Amino acid sequence: MASAKEISNRIKSIKDTMKITRAMYMISSIKLRKARKKLEDTEPYFYGLQNAIAGILYRFPDVESLFFDNRPKDKVERRKRRGIVVITGDKGMCGAYNHNAIKRAEELIKESPKCRLFVVGAVGRNYFATRGYPLPSDFTYTATNPSIHRARNIAETIIELYKKERLDEVYVIYTRMVNSLVSEVEVEGVLPLKERKFAKAEILKRKKEAHKAHGHHVDEDLPDVQDGDDKDSALLYGEEMIIHPSADELIEKIVYNYVTGFIYGALVESSASEENARMTAMNSATDNAKDILKELSLQFNKVRQAAITQEITEVIGGAKALKTNK
Amino acid sequence: MNTFKLRILACDKVFFDGDAEQLIVPTKDGEWGIMANHSQMVSAIEIGLIKYKPKDGEWVKAIVSDGLLDVRNNVVELIVYSCEKPEEIDRFRAEAAKERALEQMLAKQSIREYHVSAASLARAMARLKYSGKDI
Repeated sequence: MASAKEISNRIKSIKDTMKITRAMYMISSIKLRKARKKLEDTEPYFYGLQNAIAGILYRFPDVESLFFDNRPKDKVERRKRRGIVVITGDKGMCGAYNHNAIKRAEELIKESPKCRLFVVGAVGRNYFATRGYPLPSDFTYTATNPSIHRARNIAETIIELYKKERLDEVYVIYTRMVNSLVSEVEVEGVLPLKERKFAKAEILKRKKEAHKAHGHHVDEDLPDVQDGDDKDSALLYGEEMIIHPSADELIEKIVYNYVTGFIYGALVESSASEENARMTAMNSATDNAKDILKELSLQFNKVRQAAITQEITEVIGGAKALKTNK
Repeated sequence: MNTFKLRILACDKVFFDGDAEQLIVPTKDGEWGIMANHSQMVSAIEIGLIKYKPKDGEWVKAIVSDGLLDVRNNVVELIVYSCEKPEEIDRFRAEAAKERALEQMLAKQSIREYHVSAASLARAMARLKYSGKDI
């Protein structure tokens, strides 16, 4: 058994560690509250933007654009140059948060080895850099305190590469907080704009309304958007839509808004998940430290008890020896 | 007066959600006014000053960053990165942002960085122009 001195040293060091984990827990809980607030504030914008864009794209005249998934080259080219934006944290100490995002990214990389990585957050960047993935040197964004400015910078980088056709499709990997216990890694394609995906829900809703208004039977399954769907859109929107200033300029604006808005949303979601994960990890670390302390103090008492007993025995033994000598 | 439903969404808050009589927005080729029952329209909004008149209320002015305007079925949605009232603007911060943007534009930079700094500069100028002034 270890000596009392050793055990008390151990107790002291665990107490020190516990102080740190407890402090980190409190910091994370404050940061989480902030991140949650940000998440709530940005949600109407986030969903409003997606809805509006869905509506606009549905009513949009049939145009071929670089930003849509109906590019002529999509039909010929099979191999895509993929860009992947991975959002990780700046620090560890948050359970499996970073690891999950990185693992998901690696799965995606395996599918298309020639993709380009854009990593947000120091942990992910270090991970991929040490494993020899080429990372763009001017893409060094932190994950803490997401701002619309940072999202705009990231979006600008990606859209610029996309416009030059260095990238054919762009995915974002981020962590979504389902509730305070569960968070999930999500992979979302942001470019090119998927007309169908965007418009689907919107179309269904509107079609139902229109059908009801005309006393038709309502089809339950999703109607698919075809090129010859003009009749239906004419039914829904009897009039021409004013597009201002021009279709091309507007699409570009939509793309910038959508990508920036999406990345901002992803950054906010991820930072909330990160703080949540860190809070849970630090909480269990503190609990664990408490358990160890309990055990160690028991051990320490036992050792102390044994030492005292031994001393007493020695004293008594000594006294006895003196008595018999007399 | 006839009204329409107006929603102004900024990335950090819902700036306005309610009935309005008129809305004036800056676009690339000047200001556009929107009243009730406007035909459907989609437009890109420039950085600058918007004005709207809530139902039975006074004109309200706000400074917006660039974004989208979507008009359909008498519902108008304005989606912008930021939207602030003139009195909310921190002149000192806007001044600092302007300086920073100017400095960045002077430095050698890529086209992308140039776009970002130009947008920052435009925002800072718009804020300074309308902040605290009686407009």
